[in-house]
Amino acid sequence: MEFLVVTLMFIVFLQTRIMDLKRGIFCLSIQSALIAAACLAVGMSHGGGIHAFLPGMLTIAVKVIFIPYAILKVVRQLSDEKEIASDINVNYSTAAAACFLALSYVVLDSLLPGVQGRDIVASSIFMIMTGLTLIVMRSRAIMQMIGLITMENGIYLLGLIMTEGLPLIIELGIFLDVLIAVVILVILTSRLRLSFKTTDTNVLRKLKG
Amino acid sequence: MLKIIYALLSLPPLCALLALSGRFTNTSLHWLHRLTATGVGVLVCLLLAGFNPARPFNSEYFYLDALNCWVLIIITTLYMAATWTARSYLVREEKSGVLKNEQLQTGRYFALMQMFVWTMFIVLLVKNLGLMWVAIEATTLISALLISFKFTRSALEATWKYIMVCTVGICLALLGTLILYYAQIDALGNDKPLSWLYLYEHAAVLDPSLTKMALLFILIGYGTKVGMAPMHTWLPDAYAEAPSLTSGMLSGALCSCALYVLLRNLVILLPTAGVEMMSGMLLFFAVLTVAVAVPFVVVQRDVKRILAYSSMENIGIMVAGVGVFTAFSLKAVMLHMYSHALIKFVLFYIAGTIIQEYQTRNLMRIHGMIKEVSHTATLWLISMLGILGLPPMGLFFSKFYILTALFKEEHWLAGSLLIILLAGVLIGILYHGMRMLCDQPRRPSLGDLLDRLDTPVLAILLLLTCFVGAGFENIPWINNLLNHAVLIIGR
Repeated sequence: MEFLVVTLMFIVFLQTRIMDLKRGIFCLSIQSALIAAACLAVGMSHGGGIHAFLPGMLTIAVKVIFIPYAILKVVRQLSDEKEIASDINVNYSTAAAACFLALSYVVLDSLLPGVQGRDIVASSIFMIMTGLTLIVMRSRAIMQMIGLITMENGIYLLGLIMTEGLPLIIELGIFLDVLIAVVILVILTSRLRLSFKTTDTNVLRKLKG
Repeated sequence: MLKIIYALLSLPPLCALLALSGRFTNTSLHWLHRLTATGVGVLVCLLLAGFNPARPFNSEYFYLDALNCWVLIIITTLYMAATWTARSYLVREEKSGVLKNEQLQTGRYFALMQMFVWTMFIVLLVKNLGLMWVAIEATTLISALLISFKFTRSALEATWKYIMVCTVGICLALLGTLILYYAQIDALGNDKPLSWLYLYEHAAVLDPSLTKMALLFILIGYGTKVGMAPMHTWLPDAYAEAPSLTSGMLSGALCSCALYVLLRNLVILLPTAGVEMMSGMLLFFAVLTVAVAVPFVVVQRDVKRILAYSSMENIGIMVAGVGVFTAFSLKAVMLHMYSHALIKFVLFYIAGTIIQEYQTRNLMRIHGMIKEVSHTATLWLISMLGILGLPPMGLFFSKFYILTALFKEEHWLAGSLLIILLAGVLIGILYHGMRMLCDQPRRPSLGDLLDRLDTPVLAILLLLTCFVGAGFENIPWINNLLNHAVLIIGR
């Protein structure tokens, strides 16, 4: 478990440095795979049955395979995209992520001292906050999607560790929602490309006041 | 009862599938749309006829008590109105050249609208707080497709903002729900996870520090969806860029739905998190929401954005009413929810019609409506006075009750701030509205913009707010329902 947490934190940290979209998606896929591994490990330790394996398997099917594949399909169409601005906020978001890592341990120790699985809870808080910074600081549509899924993964991990998984029907519902959300975001991204010739959300500034 | 609920939940998806199948002509599609809504309306009436507010209906997944019954009435009313007026709206839309390849797009529109209403029904009927979250997220996703329906540049921008802000907010609400679940496991064990009824009965034994944390995330999360102030950025864009029928549903139905889920969660957290903390936070957000809306109403140039900001003002008033937490104020909130939903739907519909006819959304370019389109202008004037809370429309009474409740419970600061801000909204909307109505007309009289069927539907909605808002105490059935709904929240 320790090894898993360190790798996960490293991957999320790396995510804030990446500017290339394809590499970002690959990173997201690895991150989801780690979540799936954690999910299976927790499921095994609580005995077998369908509830132990289904969430892990679904994570692999939805988040490791389908979502990265769907986003990658859009990215392939983006080759003719006109570049407006590169993500200059990369360094800021890395610095913010580093702060959040420290902060999440501080917050955790003051709120729930001596909670079991301290590192995993801290890493999930770290993921939630890093996902938020990715959404706020990056302007590329794909990067914002990656931030959203990182955040969702963090919340999922937190739920997994703190409550040993939600009831099955709610978990299925959450998976369905994530799936539909990604499909809709992919549709919107390709529409953005058609209308604006770019997927940089900095062009979205007509509606004000 | 369970059978009626299943039938209720199976009709809209069936209609959506048929609409997408592409085997229908335009006219039959419209009739399918209308008949489905009417069928659902009949089923809801059956449901209400067999429902006793004192004895809530309870099954494994579904739950029906006075609170969700009331919101169910609001949403079904708007659903019927939206389907029966859809035809004339879409025909006019086609004439003004916005809809291309009409048959295909109408089918898609109807399917999305039916699914949107369906997800809202699920939000209302499920018993489990986790499933409520799932359904609320589903409403966000379906309505995103409705907002971006025309796929114009500004619609895309609005949708992107809507989906990003709302999904992040809703994710925070999930975090809050998880913390609540942790508190439940901590105090009550693994039994009946997140069942609302079970939590409601055992709310007092949850750990206060955990429920306070959960309150924070749930308030921010569902507050985003309701449209409370710092998280409201998606609201004016989404309301303004969506097709007008959708704007009406978003402002009336979805907002009531989100507020309903927020109320359900707050009820669980109330005994342990404490009334003072909760009412302080709610009143702060309420006044902030109205304060943010006022300047934008006054300087607004876009006819639909001004309505969106007026929605924010009303959301603020409703949240303030919840924040007072007395039986009197909560009853007023229920009434306000009803009147606001109905009047706002009428306003958005007429605004959409005006935009189609004048081919502009700029308030400054619309003059002399009272001479050019006198019939439409009359309805516009009445509903505008209604939304500002002038008697005899229903909003007058509910606004008045909420403000009275604020002063009765000695929230002097919040009450007086709200009164001052409401005066600002009144000045802003009345100024712009009167300009549209009264200036010199620039073109010959056009007769009536609204179709033959529109006027009665809109008039019925307006009359309903008058009757229910002013006379709810003389209609025993409604009064009984409201009293029970208030008992659920206020215990």
